[in-house]
Amino acid sequence: MADPRLFRLRVTFRETGRLAMLSHLELARALERAVRRAGLPYAVSQGFSPHMRIAFGAALPVGVGGTSEFFDLFLTDYVPPAKALAALQAASPADLMPTEACYVEPKAAAASVACPVSTYEVQLSAAPAALIVPETITVVRKKKEKALAVADFLVGPVELDGDAVRFTLEAKPTGSLRADAFVRELLAATVAEGYAAEGLRPVSFLRVAQRG
Amino acid sequence: MPSTNLWPRVEPLLARVERPARYLNHEWGCVVKDDAPFQFCMIYPDTYELGQANQAVRILVNAVNATEGMGAERAFLPAVDMADLMRDAGVPLFSLESCAPVAEFDAVGITLPHELAATNILETLDLAGIPLRSDERAEDDPIVLAGGPCAYNPEPYAPFFDVILVGEGEEQLPEALSLIRRLRSEAAPRDAILRALAREVGGAYVPSLYRWRDEAEAQAAGSWVEPLFDDVPPVVDKRVFEGFAASDAHEPMVVPYTEVVHDRLNIEVLRGCARGCRFCQAGMMYRPVREHSADNIVNAVVRGLAETGYDEVSLTSLSSTDHSQIAEILTRVNDACAGRGVRVSVPSQRLDVFGVEMAELVAGQKKGGLTFAPEAGTQRLRDVINKNVTEDDLFSAIDAAFAAGWRRCKLYFMVGLPTETDEDIKGIASLAQRAYDRAKAAVPPEQRGSVRMSVSCAVFVPKAQTPFQWDGQISPEETLRRVGLLKRSVKYKAVDVHYHDPATSFVEAVMSRGGREAAAWVEKAWRRGARFDAWTEHFNEEAWTGAAEALGIDPARIAQADFPTDYVLPWAHITAAVSPKFLARERARAQEGVTTPDCTFENCSACGACPTLGADIELMEERVGKTGAGAANPYRRVIGSAAMGDADHVDGGSADEMEGN
Repeated sequence: MADPRLFRLRVTFRETGRLAMLSHLELARALERAVRRAGLPYAVSQGFSPHMRIAFGAALPVGVGGTSEFFDLFLTDYVPPAKALAALQAASPADLMPTEACYVEPKAAAASVACPVSTYEVQLSAAPAALIVPETITVVRKKKEKALAVADFLVGPVELDGDAVRFTLEAKPTGSLRADAFVRELLAATVAEGYAAEGLRPVSFLRVAQRG
Repeated sequence: MPSTNLWPRVEPLLARVERPARYLNHEWGCVVKDDAPFQFCMIYPDTYELGQANQAVRILVNAVNATEGMGAERAFLPAVDMADLMRDAGVPLFSLESCAPVAEFDAVGITLPHELAATNILETLDLAGIPLRSDERAEDDPIVLAGGPCAYNPEPYAPFFDVILVGEGEEQLPEALSLIRRLRSEAAPRDAILRALAREVGGAYVPSLYRWRDEAEAQAAGSWVEPLFDDVPPVVDKRVFEGFAASDAHEPMVVPYTEVVHDRLNIEVLRGCARGCRFCQAGMMYRPVREHSADNIVNAVVRGLAETGYDEVSLTSLSSTDHSQIAEILTRVNDACAGRGVRVSVPSQRLDVFGVEMAELVAGQKKGGLTFAPEAGTQRLRDVINKNVTEDDLFSAIDAAFAAGWRRCKLYFMVGLPTETDEDIKGIASLAQRAYDRAKAAVPPEQRGSVRMSVSCAVFVPKAQTPFQWDGQISPEETLRRVGLLKRSVKYKAVDVHYHDPATSFVEAVMSRGGREAAAWVEKAWRRGARFDAWTEHFNEEAWTGAAEALGIDPARIAQADFPTDYVLPWAHITAAVSPKFLARERARAQEGVTTPDCTFENCSACGACPTLGADIELMEERVGKTGAGAANPYRRVIGSAAMGDADHVDGGSADEMEGN
């Protein structure tokens, strides 16, 4: 994977507004098209169906946006980061706007696993009196139900400030707890315990930070 | 002008539906012109992923947006899950760009892409809250227009539209909308607007201005419709966009987020096909044949890729490998895309060695499957349908393709063609098996196990404005018998047979050949739950059969009756500018097994399109494989790229090489 002749440009972008409804596949395709429109000298894989050398960060669930998402783009020629960023910005819609670009080591960890710790901010439709964090969350994987212990994934407390919720989850090599599933159960438990009225739902849902 | 923004009511629904990206708008390349005083909404009556790639939607939205004072927005039919949620929540059909109710637009256009979209048109109007029938609409309802392939027999749709535009819409639609705008600003009543459209816009058919006759009266009068006023045309000829050849091949396009069909940059390289297959409606509809120049096309590819960021470009038309400069175009497009991971594709394969050579030019290392359409299994039947292709053409194409590296080939056939016998059905099996033998012989012994040949059968659907419009469809039971015979006749395991559901083909045939009485059938079927008929999982046969019983009509007669050529058909008042005499002559030649050559290569076949429209066949150079006989065609203009204003016309080298093939 690491080709010393290539330049690995890490582009940070935001995924906001209604484009938070894109699936990961739709997002990936939209970003590749922006790179082509920007006219950057992207590297192309060898083989029967040559394609752009680009790697995406950890996927977001449909409906969850992000303010510091990123992808790694492999270039065949050095382009000053500010120039690459300007070209990408001119080729991107407002709700998928690149905000930073810098080169990273070709040997750095793959984009999809580089930042397993994600912090999310959720704006709720109403302010609950308190939040009830469930101990376990049952998810369906490959048609089998599996109970996940929230403590295995949750990093630090779940903070509540009026109608705003902030929490951090860590993805494990063995699997992860989806942020949207966590919030769904969090709100269900909160409503069930009488700390908020029925109909409590997120009105905006963003990943605001990712780190290693 | 639409003022309501439905987004706050649409957004909460999106968390509960599949593929919310269908409803988002905000795609790259979409144009918002919501400050224009006149607003038009262009609708494709199926889901976003089927409609967004549609060439008519793309061209017409651009054409209206290019008109001063007019804005065009897109709308698509929501998928079933979203439509049901919208009904429950009281949210009407909305446009994408402004998320405005479709009913608030000044005019609404619905394309009629194929016969199985009929119930979706009612679903669209109902979801929009627009009265289904023209005569139920109030003064301030939008003017509802239609156009597209099914406009060539508009009667099954007639009551649902205020005006149906026949032919190419680039100029016709903005013209019609300008007239509507002017009359609306003068506070003209609805019926005066419709009358003016019928009188002043070429190719405009306003069904409410004609009285529908019964069969006996129609046969005596020579037409099923009688104009109610003297200034309403008794016959409506299609419109042609005369400036096509010289127009820019670059057509701005919206880049979707969610995956759509034909998800790539599409460049229309030529319009029309004069090969003259007697079952083919498109081949009659888009005459005369007109080509864009190689320079125009190459520029459009380069610019289109840069503007859209697509990684695939397709050179589309009914027969792209017939373009007189195709080898030059493909070579230059390949060079322009080299090293960028961009695929080039040509959708329709000409069935000869030249066609394979052209496919090879763009295939690169990845050779998936090739598709050929012999359409019939025996030479006799291929002559009947005027598919001017021999077994030798097919076999030499197969030899070339498998020697070049292809390992899979799909052969398209039709079942139920006029004059077809069991020998023709067995001929399909025989042809496919011999094609498989040829393919195997053309590849190295160790790779022979990977050779696959598949046979795909459609059921013949008689289409309006074709020589086979008088020929009935075989019954669904007979289709199944013939397909059974075909499957038993195929002995090779490596040759597999697929076929279309005859029940849906039957509905297609009724919609294709029905008169105004078919409209009641559509409405009744829709009220009984039919929608998305083209989707196998949604096709509701009981709704259609129940509707026919409730109305007391016999759809089998509409689909299956054979008529003599002096029988006046329900679409006799509409023409594709191809004369009824030509269609009748072609049908007679079919029955004699006599073929008619392609007028872009050889003599004029006197179809009538060029003189009726005052247009010519416009080719950039002589076509590859042209015979000397073509010198006598008065309507064929070989323009040459230089005459199209292209400064750097390439040398004739590639064209000369091609002539040598």
